[in-house]
Amino acid sequence: MTTHVLKIVITGGYATGKTQFVRSISDIEPVSTEQVLTATTERALKHETTVAMDFGSIAINDQITLHLFGTPGHERFDFMREHLLVGCLGYVVLVDSCRPAHLPQTQHLLFRSMELTEAPFVVAANRQDDPAALPLNYIRRRLGLPFNVPLVPCVATDRTTVRGVLLTLLKHIAARLTLHS
Amino acid sequence: MALEGNLQNMALSDLIQVFHTDAKTGILFLKGTHERGVIYVADGRLIDAVVVRGKERTIVATRDEAVLQMLTWEQADFIFRYEPTVRKRPIRIVHSGQCLILEGMRRHADPVRTLSYYNITPETILHLAALPRNVRSGVRLSIDQWRILSWIASGQNVHTICQATGLDVPAVTRLVVELMAIGLVEIAPCLSAATEPAYRDCTMIASAAPVYAHDVPYINKNSRSFSNVCGTMRQVCSEIDLLDVITRCINQL
Repeated sequence: MTTHVLKIVITGGYATGKTQFVRSISDIEPVSTEQVLTATTERALKHETTVAMDFGSIAINDQITLHLFGTPGHERFDFMREHLLVGCLGYVVLVDSCRPAHLPQTQHLLFRSMELTEAPFVVAANRQDDPAALPLNYIRRRLGLPFNVPLVPCVATDRTTVRGVLLTLLKHIAARLTLHS
Repeated sequence: MALEGNLQNMALSDLIQVFHTDAKTGILFLKGTHERGVIYVADGRLIDAVVVRGKERTIVATRDEAVLQMLTWEQADFIFRYEPTVRKRPIRIVHSGQCLILEGMRRHADPVRTLSYYNITPETILHLAALPRNVRSGVRLSIDQWRILSWIASGQNVHTICQATGLDVPAVTRLVVELMAIGLVEIAPCLSAATEPAYRDCTMIASAAPVYAHDVPYINKNSRSFSNVCGTMRQVCSEIDLLDVITRCINQL
């Protein structure tokens, strides 16, 4: 029996919830490379950070498996994102809806990723359960996202919304494939 | 659980627009270099605001004037927290957020207007403002503010107050403006027409939405194109069409 593996990359800026995203949906215990943060300014947001990648897996059925690769958020680990994006079928860019300061960084990351691969992507606005969160239309405007790129509300700790993001990405990929064929 | 940042990353005018369009409710705290500000927002509408200075939390401005002062700040950390009880607070801001933004832009373009006391002269007669019934206690005044206030109570003009207190005209004018911003002092009725804030007329002006780049060009210079990726994936999925695989994923995820 042939097994088909589809590679999906979860990327985004620092502390946007990539590791939690993979944890929420993965069937297996995710492989994580988290290390304790030493910089005081960075510890204001969290105490551990991904230094290489997160890996999770979703078995669709006996034949098809989705492999999820979470990238590090720090700019100093950009080379890892570049490696992980190679050969991916599509990718999710996570953005924190409660930290407008991270939006320019995410925009830069989007440009860089688009340079590296033409794979379709969706942007997932994390922490949309917070009543104070920025609305999607504002995030789209600040990121300069074209309307043909899906922007999906998301709560990284909630499996249902994470599943919704992946479904949107898969539908987006399917639409692109149909267009190409 | 809060929206956090700095005004350098997201201007106050942007925040007010977001509050309005998304009908937010909560409290916005701003921490500037020397001053702190609070804006209360109920269902997208600015209902009250205050600017305080120093550890003593001396009130510098309240209501509309406080928002206008905060709109001139270029650097301040902010936190916006959802707080449903704000809806129960009395509405003390007269103008809409859009109107205040436009007035803020006007003052920014013409810094003289930031000093809203440009029409207070030494001959200006001042009197105590009639406080509304819902006014709250807890206003802290500096010694100089108290001194000025005691003279205003007896219906003196700025020149007389200067002579009585020994302060110069600019200092007294500044203190008078601070007291006006708090809502304790008004210019005497005979001069009120000349001192009516100009921004009262701007309620009919259309909203000025911030401009951002909407269209971002895709850069397709790299050889790792989508078709190449699809090609690779098709090799992996040799027997089944990739689209079919993805469709099955969608159906079964």
